[in-house]
Amino acid sequence: METSASRPKRGSNQVLEWILNNAIIFVLLVLIIIIIALEPSFISVINLRNILAQASTRLIFALGVGGIIIAKGTDLSLGRQVGLAAVISASLMQATDYAYRMYPNLPELPIFVPVLAVMLITIFISAINGFVVAKLKVDPFVATLGMQVIVYGLTSIYFDRPPYGAQPIGGLAKNFASFAQGYIKIGAIANLPLLILYATIITVVIWALWNKTRFGKNMYAVGGNIEAATVSGVNVFKSLMLTYMLAGLLYGLGGALEAARVGSATNNTGNGYELDAIAACIVGGLSFNGGIGTVPGIIFGTLIFQVIAYGLSFIGVNPYLQYIVKGLIIIIAVAIDSRKYHKK
Amino acid sequence: MKKNLWFVVSILMVAAMLIAACQPTAATQAPAAGGSTAALPSIGFTIYKYDDNFMSFVRRAIENAAAGKADIIMNDSQNDQAKQNEQVDTMISRGVKALAINLVNPQGASAIIEKAKAAGLPLVFFNKEPNATDMASYDKVWYVGTTSAESGVMQGKIIVDSWKAHPEWDKNGDGVMQYVLLKGEPGHPDAEARTEFAVKTVEEAGIKTEQLELQTGMWDSAKGKELMDAWLAKHGEAIEYVIANNDAMALGAINSLQGNGYFGADNKFMPVVGVDAIPDALVQIKAGTMVGSVLNDAANQGLATFELALNVASGKEVLDGTSWTLDDVKAVRVPYVGITLDNISIAEESYK
Amino acid sequence: MTEEFKPQSTSAPGTPVQAALDPAEKPATFEALPSEEIVIPVLDGEKPPANAPETQYILEMRNISKSFPGVQALDQVNLNIRPGTVHALLGENGAGKSTLMKVLFGIYKKDGGEILLNGKPVEFASAKEALDNGVSMVHQELNQVRTTRIVDNLWLGRFPTKGPFVDEDKMYRDTKVAFEGLGIPLDPRAKVSSLSVSESQMVEIAKAVSHDAKIIVMDEPTSSLTEKEVDHLFQIINHLREQGTSVIYISHKMEEIKKIADDVTILRDGRYVATHKANEVSIDAIIGMMVGRPLENRFPPKTNHPGGPILEVENFTSADQRSFKDVSFNLRKGEILGVAGLVGSQRTELMESIFGARRIEGGKLTKNGSVIVNKDPQTAIENGFALVTEERRATGIFALSTILFNSIIANIADYQNRFGFLNDHKMGKDTAWSIENLDIKTPSQKTLVQSLSGGNQQKVILGRWLLTQPQILLLDEPTRGIDVGAKFEIYQLMLNLANEEKAVIMVSSEMPELLGITDRIMVMSNGRVAGIVNTAETTQEEILTLAAKYL
Repeated sequence: METSASRPKRGSNQVLEWILNNAIIFVLLVLIIIIIALEPSFISVINLRNILAQASTRLIFALGVGGIIIAKGTDLSLGRQVGLAAVISASLMQATDYAYRMYPNLPELPIFVPVLAVMLITIFISAINGFVVAKLKVDPFVATLGMQVIVYGLTSIYFDRPPYGAQPIGGLAKNFASFAQGYIKIGAIANLPLLILYATIITVVIWALWNKTRFGKNMYAVGGNIEAATVSGVNVFKSLMLTYMLAGLLYGLGGALEAARVGSATNNTGNGYELDAIAACIVGGLSFNGGIGTVPGIIFGTLIFQVIAYGLSFIGVNPYLQYIVKGLIIIIAVAIDSRKYHKK
Repeated sequence: MKKNLWFVVSILMVAAMLIAACQPTAATQAPAAGGSTAALPSIGFTIYKYDDNFMSFVRRAIENAAAGKADIIMNDSQNDQAKQNEQVDTMISRGVKALAINLVNPQGASAIIEKAKAAGLPLVFFNKEPNATDMASYDKVWYVGTTSAESGVMQGKIIVDSWKAHPEWDKNGDGVMQYVLLKGEPGHPDAEARTEFAVKTVEEAGIKTEQLELQTGMWDSAKGKELMDAWLAKHGEAIEYVIANNDAMALGAINSLQGNGYFGADNKFMPVVGVDAIPDALVQIKAGTMVGSVLNDAANQGLATFELALNVASGKEVLDGTSWTLDDVKAVRVPYVGITLDNISIAEESYK
Repeated sequence: MTEEFKPQSTSAPGTPVQAALDPAEKPATFEALPSEEIVIPVLDGEKPPANAPETQYILEMRNISKSFPGVQALDQVNLNIRPGTVHALLGENGAGKSTLMKVLFGIYKKDGGEILLNGKPVEFASAKEALDNGVSMVHQELNQVRTTRIVDNLWLGRFPTKGPFVDEDKMYRDTKVAFEGLGIPLDPRAKVSSLSVSESQMVEIAKAVSHDAKIIVMDEPTSSLTEKEVDHLFQIINHLREQGTSVIYISHKMEEIKKIADDVTILRDGRYVATHKANEVSIDAIIGMMVGRPLENRFPPKTNHPGGPILEVENFTSADQRSFKDVSFNLRKGEILGVAGLVGSQRTELMESIFGARRIEGGKLTKNGSVIVNKDPQTAIENGFALVTEERRATGIFALSTILFNSIIANIADYQNRFGFLNDHKMGKDTAWSIENLDIKTPSQKTLVQSLSGGNQQKVILGRWLLTQPQILLLDEPTRGIDVGAKFEIYQLMLNLANEEKAVIMVSSEMPELLGITDRIMVMSNGRVAGIVNTAETTQEEILTLAAKYL
């Protein structure tokens, strides 16, 4: 009697519940439908390719900071580290016949040299972040805020110096440019940009690291309950260090790709990328309370912002409006999330 | 115990870095060569932001011009008007003989004029132009810069000349130039002037135009590239000209075009113009992937600024011994130069 | 009012619970026995009984001392654990139980004494090292990563690997085996966040077992369990005992000690008092040793006289479908109404709904004859209600703030002058009133609440609500996790309030206190009222039967 009476009500509630819990997907769908209605040519392989290619480096950054967020941290120095990596890798990979090289006498280097070099640099910087957070117990927000400013200073010093002063570092060597701008021909239909390929490989590796290895499980545990991890014998310091260093590795790699993708770099390259990446993570279901989050969630979060940015540009919407839409999505996503959380 | 040790180590590191950082550097104070600094007039400069690429050349030009002639104090206002005002206070109290100010925002002029007036110091603004009322409020204030509209006109001229020389660029043969435009930050005087006057100049030359797209790329290469990606996906071959408010966005667009098969083996071509004539753009012009750019003459802006400032600091007539002329708002206008393959050496010269 | 107590002694004599409940059973013995005399016949740790060799103990903690600046936390304390036994470690809060365990687990370094495990001296540097040596702890506040799965928790810190990857299959299989061995009916792949407290605890125990633990320390394991869950826990503990595992059992609940423990060791003020065989010592004797004086009664004499009705609750139904529905009851002035029920019977939700902190779908509140609506806690406070929440740490105290702040925060509007500034003098005066009347043991009003004991924290919260001058107090598990002495004071306080014609509703999971202090008991079952009984006429069995009525 009691259960049968309450069942239909419960059923309709559940549908509503499901819709509310997945509201972000509906927002995305509605946006896509509006875009298509205004500009039917939006549905095309080229647009899909462009969106995915443009999302690639952003996904790499989001995966980096995503690990840190899962470990109950955050990283505001992401964008500036990307900028440093971009500037240094670009300066090492200017074409030998370019007249305005930062290092006029530098021979042509194999690609892996600058990429590896900037990865080592950002790993080192992120290791300092990890150390300050894990050993000196500084709040991650504060620690990485400080690092953000420091790295910007470092980048600017490197960037703004003779012989040409604060010039965008361009004239990149062909092989470096094609490292990010190249593509693989797949039949006659479409070209697969290398960027998408890189992002895919990195995503798979990160997924395996997070879900299939001790490192990943410890990362989730440290974020979920640092006390429990400690008493269970997890080396919390090592775990946090590895998490930050992995993020640094991704920033370095992504920074080099960013320079190669754009074809130049300045000390403002990467400015604000941390906010985009953190927003993507949060919309993708990561929680600042730590311990929660998945790779597919981060992919979704990154894509939704890319679709909005690309789609709204495509139909020629005022770019300022994009900021408003982006902000609303962040708030809606987190509101839904905390609603779910409070239910329990 | 161990943790304390780490703290001590960290603090020592920071202290060491602070000591290293406090070594005076050339950027903050550049005493003239020779050491007889006391005899030289002291002039205070601010640059609105050191890492602005154009201003970095102006700064270099000023520093080169000042060698042996003046003792200059150079400040980085870090894109912060409040900081700039404080720097002006500091320089006044250090006893400079003249101020040369590259405003962070043009509306900040009146406050700085008041400070200069109070100290009785002559003042030269450069690169960012205060409004006429502010300029008229003090007899010892001058301006060195350009006419914003001129860069647009120059860019328009390059478009006109190239379009007329290449009838095949009208791909659909309709006699109308279908263009896309990458705009700088909306509201920025340069962005507005360049957008308006480039197209106006083209139309005044009798060429019909059709605007396919106009969006802001916020002066940024990456945004320029991503907008171009979207536009190519949307319009493809229908785009006949790419106009960018600056070279960074133009280069981003070229990057996107290359990714979409332009300038490559199959001879697909797209005319692109920018403004600034930065080194990377010169390389593209030489390579034939960019039609032209407009040189904002950093060397002469820097030189003019310094010469005016030195004159007023030494108590001379403001234009004494120079070839510059003042217009009706006490401004020296350094002309822009349109750069194409034909006169590229002018631009290259300015970077030497 | 002593008459009201009498029927209790008629019910099922012999069970430890009932024995403990009956203050009249052996009063003479106690009053006659000063604490000094109680200590004499015990089995002293340094002189093991029956001349057994020392190695009969799996764990010996000898003459352990530990001091903190200004405090001798442990003074020559002994604890000897026989293999395959449940050893209760007893003492009031502050007696040194936690400190002793922290010394065992290497969280504190001991100043003196020695620890022998299987006859060999050990000194663990960390909880992990203790774990590796078969000494494990199930924490009071369960230390789990709630965002991950059971298996991830069980093998945290020692994930089995196959090549570079974690061996999921092996984890699953081994967990399954461990669960079956202990009779735990859980899916190893379930998320810990979906488990109840009792289930989480079982996972912790399984984790200890999977570490081949020879000694498992359980700190207040039943503080949030229902009677049924306690039974299951005891089955598991018995099972462990049969397999030769020793359990150090820390609890405040005397009935459980009698039921499950083989040995008891009692600490008081950081000193060792005695070790007994559990079946050779009465609860009252234990309490006497704990408090250091004979305690005639665990409950103050009931002096209140319920009067006319003050509150009428009619057809209260939660807006949340899964919560309570159709709850009706009344409350009289000067009455203490108990609310009994199993975990999940929605007692807390009901209290919070009456207080306006949760939404209701329907229902009517009538106070003193007029209908009122508590649309939010602010209105409820204005209407003369006060709520002391169940989760003291989570929703009650501001741990990092001072006693003063904690005392005045619910009543802040009263301290504002007309410019909106707060009157320091008045706040200080009221806080002083609270400290004095509730006998809060603190050096000053500026003391941070986190440094107080659980009982004193609870008194600070009670004081906070009394300052709002409530007529109706809703107390949700007011004595959870606080020691016997402090409990007595809280009971006394409740009675005093009732004597002032205020009405008290007390939600509790501890049967003895429900039976010992209330006038009537409302029993909830699965979100509904299963019955309201007069305390004087009911039995534990009747309440348990009612609690299961709608399951």
